[in-house]
Amino acid sequence: MGVHEIEDAALLFVFGYHGAESHPIVARRIVRAKQKGAKIICVDPRRIETARIADMHLQLKGGSNLLLVNALANVILEEGLCDYDFIEKHANGFDEFKEVIKKYTPESVTAQTRVEAADIRKAARMYALSGRSMILYGMGVCQFGQAVDVVKGLANLAIMTGNFGRPSVGIGPVRGQNNVQGACDMGALPNVYPGYQSVTVPEVRAKFEKAWGVKLSDQPGFTLTMVPHQVLHETDPKKQVHAYYIMGEDPAQSDPDLAEVREALEKCDFVVLQDIYMNKTGQYADVILPATGWCEHDAVYSCCDRGFQKARKLVEPSGDVKTDWEIISLVSTAMGYPMSYKNTVEIWNEVIELCPGFAGATDEKIEKNVCVQWPCRSKEDHDKGTSFLHKDGKFAHPDGRAKFFATDWRPPLELENELYPLTLSTVREVGHYSVRTMTGNCRTLRNLEDEPGWIQMNPADCEVLGLAEGELVKVLSKRGYCITRCLPTGRVAKGAVYMTYQWWIGACNELTIGNFDPISKTPEYKYCACKVEKIEDQAWAEKHVREEYELIRGRMGIDMKEGRAA
Amino acid sequence: MTIKQIQSTCAYCGAGCQIMFTVDIEKNKILEAVPARGRTNDGALCLKGHYGWDYLNDPQILTKRLVKPMIRKGGKGSPLEEVEWPEAIAHVAGRLSEIKAKYGPDAIMGTGSARGSGNEANYVMQKFIRSAVGTNNVDHCARI
Repeated sequence: MGVHEIEDAALLFVFGYHGAESHPIVARRIVRAKQKGAKIICVDPRRIETARIADMHLQLKGGSNLLLVNALANVILEEGLCDYDFIEKHANGFDEFKEVIKKYTPESVTAQTRVEAADIRKAARMYALSGRSMILYGMGVCQFGQAVDVVKGLANLAIMTGNFGRPSVGIGPVRGQNNVQGACDMGALPNVYPGYQSVTVPEVRAKFEKAWGVKLSDQPGFTLTMVPHQVLHETDPKKQVHAYYIMGEDPAQSDPDLAEVREALEKCDFVVLQDIYMNKTGQYADVILPATGWCEHDAVYSCCDRGFQKARKLVEPSGDVKTDWEIISLVSTAMGYPMSYKNTVEIWNEVIELCPGFAGATDEKIEKNVCVQWPCRSKEDHDKGTSFLHKDGKFAHPDGRAKFFATDWRPPLELENELYPLTLSTVREVGHYSVRTMTGNCRTLRNLEDEPGWIQMNPADCEVLGLAEGELVKVLSKRGYCITRCLPTGRVAKGAVYMTYQWWIGACNELTIGNFDPISKTPEYKYCACKVEKIEDQAWAEKHVREEYELIRGRMGIDMKEGRAA
Repeated sequence: MTIKQIQSTCAYCGAGCQIMFTVDIEKNKILEAVPARGRTNDGALCLKGHYGWDYLNDPQILTKRLVKPMIRKGGKGSPLEEVEWPEAIAHVAGRLSEIKAKYGPDAIMGTGSARGSGNEANYVMQKFIRSAVGTNNVDHCARI
């Protein structure tokens, strides 16, 4: 559904999504929904902003998502709160689903979720009976070793209660980055061409072979998160990665288990970094190709609710830089596959000709309407795009019906233990974005927060270690360590700690684990075991942080002699 | 002085906020960013929308803006040396072609980007990897 529909829901079920930190402007819609009378149920292990205005906050233990989701389904089934008419007309697999779900009674999950059975019952009733319930979910669902199953579990709730195919219902993954939707739309994925057309379907492949004039591979490729493994540990020579061409990413800061990422970048025969700023990954690149940034080129972005919108060239870049598409076209041509695009409109026209779901989203239409949400199939003016999917209960499966899918819960891979008694989850903060090469280079935003960041801890855990607010601490996991500042806060439960991932010295990805969901290959950023150690000599620690920061800035090309203080 | 108002889309989170920029065309500088009435943002911006364009001024705070192609001519661990574009392109194309010839196309991995590059750049990248290199090894930072 569209972001604009959020405020008209009768009930918002916000699961593992911290809008106020990750999408402040989407979060305003949640506040507005509340003002318009919506009920809000917040499911999150932290007492986030949404929890503060929610009617119910289910403060579950991290890593227990599917237990809770299945228990909610159990209540809806047991109490007969289903929309049986919707299920009969629009869904398959209900009987098998019931079989799996029947054992997930609220009482059976209380110990592991830490949510009272009565609260699970109450939340299930509220969700099932509001008439217009919308689910919003975020990385608190996706960044686990069991993630896709939970998304399907949330979809089950919406299907069984008929909350699909109308305004202000459905389930909404509120996608993180400005163009994560767009990169997917354009087929920057190992299993699909642009427009989500599978590389394994012969007719689809034939269409793209004809359009691109070349024979194409029928084997899905590797995901980005598999690269360290394919470089370091793959024994089949046919599956080893020897060259890595990275555009606009910084895996040496953003990916889990950084020690392993560094090892892979060092070992990989040839690494190309195409970016706007020097970053951690650039330290390992064999070649750097400087590109234009946001505001220096024209582009279409896809926002989180499938909306195509234009980003404009506002200024001329100052360096000897080129747009990303020009650079790739030059490399491609030099490798014997000529590309000679004149501008982004020419590329866009090629995209929409190959993708039926985008065919109507012409350049003129995006110019005229500012935003066009796909699917938009007809070039005619009357097709202004699609605000919500599955209208009138028509789903994407070949028979047009939704499919129930239920499975059993699996715990996270690395549980807290005697040596590492705390659980670490990585989160976001409002002032900085991703690896902060952009926001960290904006004066106003840099002033909001700087190295080495914070670790959010329950005051009781701080007390045990004798830690005060602002004190530098060492955080360790089996994979590495980093230094950050202690932030005691009652927003987090005992035993769980939280860090943001953009800091160099407080780099929490030194600690995170390369455990991936088997389908999405998303890392389990939201759960690994760690411990916090007190640093007795705070003066040394402060000096160490300062010196490290200067050292890294120097490596990033900042001229330290000019006396610019960090 | 040529001052222009140009509407654009924010490049930080997925909300897709519309921003009205005031640009001094002659001085090639952005002067101000204020909210525009987009479908999703409805006339509001967060701090990043208001102030997130200052990186264009290369204020030398955190990292240096990349302004010239560079190659480690002495191999891994050697310093990056500035080169002209034709040399950089020929070097990348040459090395990728060598690796493709030696190990096959599936030994090469490329990434799109979920950030500022945009849809057209992502389309061209995946087309390059699929058509010029000959593999489906293309992905982006969706999972992080």
